[in-house]
This record gives sequence, structure tokens and C-alpha cells, in this order.
Amino acid sequence: QEIVRGVVVEAATGTPLPGVNVVVQGTTRGTATDFDGNFAIEAAQGETLVISYIGFKTQQVPVTGQPMNIALEEDSGLLDEVVVIGYGTVKKEEATDAVDVVSTEDFNQGPIVSAQQLIQGKVAGVSITTGSGAPGEGSNVLIRGISSLSLNSNPLFVVDGVPLNDGGVGGSRNPLNLINPNDIESMSVLKDASATSIYGSRAANGVILITTKKGKAGELKLNYSGITSVYEPVNKVDVLTADEFRNVVNTYGNDDDIARLGTASTDWQDLIYNSAFGGDHTLSAQGGIFNIPFRASAGYTDQEGILRGDKLERVTGSFNLRPRLLNDDLLLEFNARVSRTDNTFANREAIGSANAFDPTQSVYDVNSPYYAFTDANGTDFGYTSYLNAAGTQQLNLAPTNPIALLDLVKDQATVDRFVGNFKVDYSLPWVEGLTATVNAGYDYSSSEGFSQTQPNIPTPSIGFDGRRNDYTQEAINKLFDAYVTYNNDFGNNNLEATAGYSYQQFEFDNFSRSEERILNADGSLNEEASINQEFIDKSRNVLLSYFGRVKYDINNKYIIKASLRADASSKLNPEDRWGYFPSVAAAWNIHNEGFMSGGFFDQLKLRLGYGEVGNVNGLGDYNFLTRYVGSTNTAQYQFGTQFYNTYRPEPINEDLKWEVGSTWNAGLDFAILNSRVNGSVNAYLKKTNDLIANTIVDPFTNFGNVIPANIGDMENKGVEVELGVTAVETENFSWTINYNVAFNDNTITRLPDTQDVGGISGGVGNTIQRHQEGISPFSYFVYKQIYDEDGNPIEGAVADINGDGQINTDDRYFYKDPYADIIMGLSTSINWNNWDFQAVSRANIGNYAYNNVASTSAINNVFQNDILTNTHSEILTTEFQQFTEVNLISDYYIENASFFRLDNVTLGYTLQEGFFGNPLRIYGAANNLLVISNYSGLDPEITGGIDNNFYPRPRVFVLGLNLNF
Amino acid sequence: CHQDLDQTPIDPDLFTEIDVYANIDEAKSALAKVYASMALTGQQGPAGQADIAGIDEGFSQFTRMLYNLNELTTDHAVVGWGDPGLPDLHEMDWGAGNDFTEAMYYRLAQVVSFSNSFISNAGQLGTEDAEVRSFIAEARFIRAYAYYNLMDLYANVPLVTEITANLPEQSNRQEIFAFIEAELKEIEGDLKPALSNEYGRVDQAAAQALLSRMYLNAEVFIGESKYAEALQYAETVINSAYSLNTTDGNGNGTAYDELFLADNDRNGAQNEFIFALNFDGINAQTYGGSTFMCHAPVGGTMDPAFFGVNGGWAGYRTTKGLVEKFESSVTASDAGAPVAWSDARANFYIDGQNYEIQTIANTFEDGYALVKYRNVDVNGNQGSDASGNFADCDIPLIRLAEMYLNYAEAAVKGGGGSVATAVTYINELRARAGADAIAQGDLTAQFILDERSRELQWEGFRRTDLIRYGQFVSGSYLWPFKGGVQNGKAVEDFRKIFPLPNNVLQINPNLTQNPGY
Repeated sequence: QEIVRGVVVEAATGTPLPGVNVVVQGTTRGTATDFDGNFAIEAAQGETLVISYIGFKTQQVPVTGQPMNIALEEDSGLLDEVVVIGYGTVKKEEATDAVDVVSTEDFNQGPIVSAQQLIQGKVAGVSITTGSGAPGEGSNVLIRGISSLSLNSNPLFVVDGVPLNDGGVGGSRNPLNLINPNDIESMSVLKDASATSIYGSRAANGVILITTKKGKAGELKLNYSGITSVYEPVNKVDVLTADEFRNVVNTYGNDDDIARLGTASTDWQDLIYNSAFGGDHTLSAQGGIFNIPFRASAGYTDQEGILRGDKLERVTGSFNLRPRLLNDDLLLEFNARVSRTDNTFANREAIGSANAFDPTQSVYDVNSPYYAFTDANGTDFGYTSYLNAAGTQQLNLAPTNPIALLDLVKDQATVDRFVGNFKVDYSLPWVEGLTATVNAGYDYSSSEGFSQTQPNIPTPSIGFDGRRNDYTQEAINKLFDAYVTYNNDFGNNNLEATAGYSYQQFEFDNFSRSEERILNADGSLNEEASINQEFIDKSRNVLLSYFGRVKYDINNKYIIKASLRADASSKLNPEDRWGYFPSVAAAWNIHNEGFMSGGFFDQLKLRLGYGEVGNVNGLGDYNFLTRYVGSTNTAQYQFGTQFYNTYRPEPINEDLKWEVGSTWNAGLDFAILNSRVNGSVNAYLKKTNDLIANTIVDPFTNFGNVIPANIGDMENKGVEVELGVTAVETENFSWTINYNVAFNDNTITRLPDTQDVGGISGGVGNTIQRHQEGISPFSYFVYKQIYDEDGNPIEGAVADINGDGQINTDDRYFYKDPYADIIMGLSTSINWNNWDFQAVSRANIGNYAYNNVASTSAINNVFQNDILTNTHSEILTTEFQQFTEVNLISDYYIENASFFRLDNVTLGYTLQEGFFGNPLRIYGAANNLLVISNYSGLDPEITGGIDNNFYPRPRVFVLGLNLNF
Repeated sequence: CHQDLDQTPIDPDLFTEIDVYANIDEAKSALAKVYASMALTGQQGPAGQADIAGIDEGFSQFTRMLYNLNELTTDHAVVGWGDPGLPDLHEMDWGAGNDFTEAMYYRLAQVVSFSNSFISNAGQLGTEDAEVRSFIAEARFIRAYAYYNLMDLYANVPLVTEITANLPEQSNRQEIFAFIEAELKEIEGDLKPALSNEYGRVDQAAAQALLSRMYLNAEVFIGESKYAEALQYAETVINSAYSLNTTDGNGNGTAYDELFLADNDRNGAQNEFIFALNFDGINAQTYGGSTFMCHAPVGGTMDPAFFGVNGGWAGYRTTKGLVEKFESSVTASDAGAPVAWSDARANFYIDGQNYEIQTIANTFEDGYALVKYRNVDVNGNQGSDASGNFADCDIPLIRLAEMYLNYAEAAVKGGGGSVATAVTYINELRARAGADAIAQGDLTAQFILDERSRELQWEGFRRTDLIRYGQFVSGSYLWPFKGGVQNGKAVEDFRKIFPLPNNVLQINPNLTQNPGY
């Protein structure tokens, strides 16, 4: 043996790489490169050095002569790609499950505040729908369709090994807003249960693993990435214009109604929406401090909403440090992310009120008692309102002036969040291939917010002198994981085994106070009628788990894997507390078979998996205990002359147990033509049993009519296809196209009672959807409209479905559901010399929406309650006179909301030496450029399918800059 | 760490059985819930933490639903709102999925469950204490009252007297009748003497009055008339410490309207209230109860300030069926519609209102409006909630006037007693309202039904009364839009009882739906 010396450099740049592992294969002799990439190790001729470094392809180099010059290539290849999975990683070639990874270069571009949007449209079977057009708005993420009736259907998000709290964060628009999207390296989407079951009880709806960018040792590198954007309102709700409105009132109204018409022409929607601006800037640094790789970033986001006054401001910071000690046997990793978000929420009630407010009135009125401003002549103007005869109060059932709602209600919140973890990997020296890992995580959020209504808001309340609600919310999620991993080769075979323990505790503490001042006629405070109430809401639950996984790879051809997770949740009674969730999966790398050598396929892999997962996410705590809840001071009861707070026994379910989802997945991955065409096909059948839903109980047997109970079964089945094509690949020109399509069918297979869901506006307590055995969840449950010869709906004429000669609630039937049968994503990117171009689009087919804005319209509604109310211009077509339940719930308003949306188009140019010799990229992007749909409402893409006072998604134009130095 | 899985509530608003039944003072707050479950709708007035799921919280309030099921289904009321299932009530074509018939079933069953829980737990406090015995007896009364309504509305419901998760068997009216009868007689001794309990809590007279009411309807409930018993219990109550309110606090010439004012817990009306639900604009808020009664029937040209509220909800009106029960002193010459009455109970509001109903849905102008509850005190001052949102008026569920009418009807229908005394009672009621006295010859069964309509309108009696007289579903008595047609028509016999909720039938196979549904 001799001392072998060498240097390791990065293949692309020639930069020396420090901290690279150099190990003599089959021995315990190892070292790491120094700051200049140099190493020296004892080795004999003919022995093999294994050179490995995270983020680079591992190389095996036989010792031949020296010095050895080794160039490591970045690990981005298709087959060698490392996929982050639960409690570990796996090379893509060895993966047995349906896992999709989207990395930085494939992320969506544009003004993205929230991580979910980075992969919108990129992964087959994953539907990501933003809740509205508000800045930083949360997204509804569904993986392979909805799988729970009342619990949370969102996937579990895990950030660098820390599963996040599944609850919302008060005052925050989106719990994921804590992460600066610029800090994210990749997102792995685990879809089928053979992959997710290692996360057991929290993985019922799939898991999205977020891996943040890590530092690499070496010289200090800085990156600045910034955008500035403009948001423009695109569509408005089609309500009557001032002239159309005058016409309707003059035609159908009586003299009193006509006298109420104003002389103005006000487009209230024009007044509540405006163009908005935003900026997003991130500066990051990475490199080595004393040879310890680190990365740090700071970000600032400032985004306005198109609803006047809406604003989000965010500061983020992240820090990552990964020292290696003890000859690299000990790897420490420290991640910390902090963010502060300041939200100013514009009052969304203004949206509905802008649709309803009389367009012939001007914004301000000299006769209104609700002071707005004084003009140059000293005349006081108030917000135009419908007033009682005395002119002192707004009428009870009148809409409130939309501008007053925006001006006079202030709603703000500050949310601080910290997510950090400390992870220790120790390669136990006495057993080769055995690593022990401990990961401690902490997820903390703290919110403080208020909403304040000014005294001069138009209201029917006599003596109203302002209202203020303050709240604070604290959520703490603690994680402790400990596991060992054994990984060793036996000849051409490889065994990997993992076993561990996980403890999580979730605690939240909410406090709110509401105050409302009521004045006496003489202007003094009426203490009695004024409200001052405080609410406290606290809860804690614990999740405890054991898990194990074994994977055996035979000759890189046959891979089998099995896992088991045992979970116990404090939410369930001691007898039903433990759930056991197994999985098995196998994969066959057909391309590695001898008979395939030199063949057509670069990759051809067949996968088959089965797994089970549990779910109690979103279930309240303590449901199995007898509890009493006290009443507030406004819900007391009088005995004698005294008022008593009351104790109410709460509905109880001692028998709650885990929802269990079991999924079969069969998949095929392939790559041909030098991997220029690659893709995968997955077919799945997911059965969820013992679904927890709020279900009717015999009310004589409980303290309420509804309790959460394990009552239903559901089945999701579908096929997903992903296809990637590199159409052109030359030195100066490349063109790739990615397409994915997913078919999903969702049926409730057992449900003893029906459940009405989907509350709508119009009347009180109306619902439009129902869960029932044998059909899709959230199916619309409606009256069947009858049409005349010309195809126009006949007012009030609906089919007598049960044929009993009467039309009542028993005549409703099921018609369509809000979930798409087919969802597709299509994206393409072109690089030509220094130019780059990207376009991302999506389509949903077979999703239906209920147009609640149109369904509440009736000519009679214009004249109700001694006021004039604007209405959807639909009435010019239907000429429906009366607002009735039958019209409201008619299937006429259930519309096909299939759509194609061009989400993003980006064009960029890179000046290779533009910034003091460093590359500089500038780009322009446009988001939400085009929507093609037959849906008549504002936007066909509505979470849950009920379109009512939707905050419209703006069109966005972005200018961006990215530079490295 | 396994013991960490045994988490207990850390919320300061959540309590255990040990906290709640620690002593008699705490237990009183649990008793307050038994009463409050009929008055309020949840733990966070006016809305929030609802008792009943699946229906708008305000809709789920007991007296509001009682009004909808027992008054809106009759000649006493129509409503223009299009809330699901609501128009079906006046049209008498409700189905087994009707939201209101469902929610009332849930509400009453929940009252039974709350009472059962209280009865079984309060015993630990020591039944040698008279106050504890009264607590338990009161809870048993509330349970009996809930069962009375279940029997009246749904007939065939389970009889459950303790907390159990086992699916109950169905009972019939005979069994429930017998249960209520036995319970009320058994608790009489433990209840406090008439008018000696705190205001708002029931006493012996309540048990006796409910017995009288049940016996009066015995023929409907068990196919056997019990007028003698009805008369006897009515008489006991009449001779108790309760008295008709004759204090005309606002000096408008009648003491009738004082019964329905914001200060009816102290203006004299309380002496007539045998069982009342208590509301308060500040401390006991709901969108049902008297807040509903003070807002919902106010619309058109009516001045909300007169009702002590900040605005009307433009919903409920009445039909000429009720108007015709009153002898009018003036009839407008052109239309022939009555416009003035000497009887103070004919408190119709006619300005801008049409006598005849052409349209119900979405209108307020067709049908006279009725002034019943007003959230002002005898001096005309608005109730305690200065903002005008929530009302103070308490709602009597049993008041002495009903006992007068029960006595008279039982006497006329062969229950013994004295018809002459009956006439005196009726004339006392009429005198208070400023109506002419009647002679003994006028006192027929039909007259008493009409007198009940006049005296007890909008108090939750009408449907039961019409059924007892065979006039609810038959063609013998029609009112506007009975059966959904303008001139009224007969409807099917099975509509005398409401359907059991479809949802409950699906989960409890022991139950059979009422015939016809």
C-alpha cells in the first residue's frame, strides 16, 4: 500500500470541491478532501476509491497511478437522481413507488409567494387550486382526488424532515407562506400508499416533501433574485349596468321603486378593484466557513391585491449549516427558517356588496349620516346608504356601501413562524453500513391580528360606535425522530433497512377578544349593550409512532420493499388508539436484464405496490371524553333576576378509530432514445375505509344530532400518465415538452345516511351538495329544470322526480360534481443560445360549478324590502320574476366548468458575463394570460365548485432579474 | 412517552363531570342548560357553538320552530321567505326530508338527552336536599314537556329516560302519554308550590297545567277522551296562586298586550306565566325566541321603532282566516275588508297591507300583519339591547289564560264542571281584551276554538287545536293557500303528524316512518 494523492473538482467548472468523501471500497479507510480539493489516502494499486459528495454522482475509480484527478458531475441524471422519501433517500432507479420530483429548474415562474404554486400543473394527478386571487392565498391541494368526507384532504407537507402542523395559522393566508420559494431545492410528491405509509397516520392524502437548498463548501457564492410585478383585474361579474338597471326598475317596479332610482352610473366593481403591484427579492449566500458548508438567505416580498387595500408583506430568512466531524462519520445538519408576514386584509364583503349595490347611486351622499368627507365648500358627505324613514339608520336588509366596507374596516395580522431542525447522522464505526439518525424539529407560529370597524360604517344597529376584534394564536409542533439505517451490499445485491421511533406533539393556544361600543341617544356609552367578550381555545394532541422499512435490491433488477408503521394518537380512545399501517412494493428494472441489453429502452421498469395509511388529521381532540363546554355571557339563562352561564355536555364518540386508506398502485417507467423521451404510467385503486365524517346519530343517544364517526367507505381509482420529451438537444438549442394527464373517479361506496354539504347564499341554510352512497362525494343535489320549446328555462317549473304530484325537497336529484374527471398539465421550455422560454398550462375536464351569483337573481329581488338591489344580468335572459328555493337550487345553474388555463409564459435572456463577469439573467413573465371555458361565471376554477363572490384571479406581468456573483 | 397519549382538555372553557356536579351552585348552571336548550341555540349567543348541526342556528330555536310547525301550517300565518322547506309548511306538502320537521325532532330529542344527563348526575348531590329534589323534578318536567311535543308532532318516537348509546326502540302515543302522565304526577310533590319558585323555573302548576293540556287532547293522542281530568287539572291551576294579568302598564286600555312586552318578566304579566322561556337582549341572545317574534313579522310600512328593534325581517303575516275570527266594528266600504276592531287581541296592522292574499313568496304586502311581541317596556322604551338587534321579551309556553280555555272546552265537551263558571272565565279573558261579554248560550265548542284562536294566536297552539276539532286537514275548514291553492283545499289525513327525519330512520333500523311519508 502507498499514499495515493489526488484532487477532486466540479466537472462543470473545474472548481475544487472540499469535503468530498473518499473511501477505499470494502474497507474502513476513508478521508475527505481539504479546502483545495486535495486528498491523500492509503490504498493499493487495483483497489477502488469511492468518491461521493452530496448533490454529485458518486464515482468509483480504480487506483492506477497518481495524482488522481477526479471530476465529479452534478447529480441530475434521470436514473441516478436521488429522490427524497420518508426517513431517507432512494435512487430513482431503485424506487418502487409512484414518486414525482420537481426541482428548481422545473418550478413554475412568476410572482409565487407560496410553495404549492411551484408545482401547479407539473405532477400528474395532483390538483392545485388557489383559493382566490388574493396575494399569498392558500391553495387546495388534492392528490388523486378527494379521499375524506370531512377531515382534511390536503397532503402532509414535510420540510427537511419536519412534518408541518396540518392546521391553518391564524392571520395567515397560507401556512406554507413561511417558506421563501426561492429557498426550495426540490419537492417530492409521494402519491401511493406504498410510499406514504412510512408516514402512517398523517399521509392519507399523500405527502409532499420539501427539500430546501443546502450549501456546498467552496468559495462564497452569492445570488440575487428579484422580480417586480403588476396585477390587473381581468373579469367582472356580469351584473346589470346602471342603464340596464334603470330599465328593469322602470319596467317592473311600482312608483315607489322608480322614485328610489338615483341619477348616477356607478360601476361598483370598477371602484373596489384596482391594479396592484408587487416585488420579491431574495439574496442568498453559500459556501464554506472553515470548510463547513453553509447557506443563508434573506427575502423580502411585498404584494398588493387587486381588491383595494389588500396587501401582503413578508420577510424571510433561512440558514443551513452541515458540518462533518469524526472523519466524516458524524454529519450534523442544522436548518432554521424564520418568517414574518404582515397581512392587510381588504374586506371581502365588498365583493358581494359591489354586485348588489344599486348602480344608479353615487358613492357619497350629502343626506347620509355616515360621514365620509367634507368637500371644499364645507359640505359634509356620507357614504350612500339605504336609510330608514327618519334618515338615521341603514335599513335592516340593505347591502352596505362597498366603498364604506373597504374604507372603514381595517383587518391586519402579523404572523411569525420558525421552523427548524437539528439532525445528527452518525455512521456507527463498529458495524459497516449502519447509521443512526436523530432529528429534532420545532415548528412554531405566533399570530397577532385585529379587525376594526369604524363607528361611521352604515349599519342598522342603533348607537353603533365601532367594533374591534383582537386575536392571538400560538401553535407549537415538536418533533423528535430517532432511527437507524443499515445499508450494505452483498455482492451485487443491496440491503437497506430502517427502523425508528417518532414523537410529535401539537399544541395550540388561541385567544380572542371582541368589543363593540353602543352609545345612548345622548352620546354616552351604553355599558350594558356594549359587548366585551373574551374567548380562549386551547388544545394539545400527541402522535407517537414506530416504523420500519426493509428494501432488498437483487442485482439492480428486482427490488422489493416492505414497511410497517404503528401510530397512536391521543385523539382516539385508548382501545382504538393504535393503528398499524403496512406496505409492500416491488419493482423490476427490465432494462437491466440481459435480454434487453443494447435495446430500445434506456429504462423500462415495472412497479407494483400496496400500502395502507391512516387518517385522523383535522379531527378534534378529546371526542371520546365526556366534556362540558361553558357558555359565553351572551348565552346565559335567567333564573329569578340573575343570569347564569350554562354547562352543555358535548357530543361524544367513544368509538372513533382510524380512517384507513389502502392503495394498490401499478406503474411503468420508461425512457427511450437516450432518455430523450421518458415517462411513466400509474394506475391506482384507493379504498378508504371507516371514513370519519360528521354523521347524524339518533339524537336520543347523544348530546347532539351530529358526531364525528367512522361511517363510510370511499373508492378512488384512476390512471396517470406523464411524458417528457426532449425534442431538440444541441449545444445551443434545446426544447423540452412535458405533459401529464390524470383520470380520476371517486365514489362513496358506503354511507348509512346522506349528508347535506355545500352551503350557498340565498335564503338561509340552503345547501347544494350531498354525500350519498353510490355517487361521487360533493355531488350537486338539485331540482331538475324544465325548459320551453326554445330551450329557455321555465320559471318555477321543475320535474316532479318522485312523481307524487307535489314539488318539495324530496324532488331533488343528483347532477354532476365539482371534481374534474380529467386533469392535465402541459409545459414546455426552450433554450436557444442565451434565450430561454417557458410556458405552463393546465386543463380540467368534467368539473362542474354552481353559479351562485346568477342563481340568486330574480326580478323581484330588485325590489325587495323597500330598497333596490342589483342583480346578475342573467335575469334579462331568464326573466325569472320570483326568487324561490326551486329556482335557487335548479340544475340550470350547474354549469360545465371545464377549462384550459395558460398559467405562465416566461421569456428570459442571460448575459453570460453581464455582472462583473458573472451571469445575469433578465426575464419577463405573464401569469394567468388566458382561460378558455364555457362557464358563464367569473372563473371556472373554484375550489369546492360553489361560485359566490369569488375574489378574482388577476392577470400578472412580471419583470425579473437573477444574478450570481 | 406513552403516557403522553392520555391527553386531557387544557381549555379553560371545557369541564368534566366532576367540575359540573361538584356542588349545587355548579349544578344549577347545568340545570340552566336544560332550560336554555329550549330558549337559546348554542353556547355563544346569538350564534356560535350551536346545539344542533345542519340547520341555520337561528332556525333551530325551539319556540321559532314551534311557531313554524304549529302556526305557519295553519290559518294563523304565512311567510314570504324561500328558505328550504319553509314554504312547504304553509302549503302542507312537506316531505320527510323537511329541514324544520327534522330540526325540531333533533331539538326535542336533545332536550331529552340533556335532561336525562342532568337527572342521572344531579342525584349525586344528595336527594335529601329539597333544592336538589326540585332541580331534578324540574328537569323531569322539561323532559315531559319535550315528550309532550314529540308525541304531538311526531307521535311515534322512542322513549328514552337514561343516557345510553344503544339505539332505542320506537314507542307509540299510548306509551308516551302514559309516561308523561306518570312523570308529571310523580314530580308534583318535589316541585315547589305554585309561584313560589324563582321566576323562570317551573313549579307544581306547570305539571298540572301540562296534564290539563294533555288530557284535553287525549282523544287525539290515545283515542280516549279525558275531559274530566283536563277540567280538574285546569281548575287546580286556576285556583292556584297564579292570576290573569290585569295591569295595564302602558294605559292603552287593555292588559293583554303587556303579556308580550320587553318587561313581561316584571310588569305583572309574570303572574300569568306558568312556564315561560326567558330572553334578554344582552345576556341571552338568539335569532329565534322573541328576537324572531319582534323582527320577523315587521315589514312594509311598519315602524321598527314601535317594535323596539332596528328593522324588520319582512317575513310573517296572517290570513283572513284569523282576521275573520274577530267581530269587526268597521268595514271599508269598497273592498269589504275589515279595518277596525274593538277586541285588543285583533291587533292587525293594515296600512299598505292587502286583506286578500294573491302571493305569498317574496312579498310582505298580501295578508294583514299582526302585532304580537314588541321589544319595548310599558313606558314605550326599547329593551336592553340599545342597538335594537335582540329582544328582552320572555315567551310564555303555558299561561293561565290557556287553563281558562281548557276548563271551558272540557266543560262544554262533557268533562263536568260548571258551564256558568266557564262563561265567567271566557268573559274575563274577553273583558281584558275589550271584547263584548258572551252569554251562556254562545258558549259552543266551536266558539271556544275560535276564542283560543283569538287569545292564543301565534303562541304555538293552532295546529293541535285544529286537529282536535277535526279541521286541520279536512275540507270542513279552509283558509287561503291551505294545501297550496289560493282558496284552500283539504290535504291528506296523514299530515296530522309530521314525518320522522329520514336521516334518523337510516341509522336506526328500529324506527318505522310515520304512515304516508
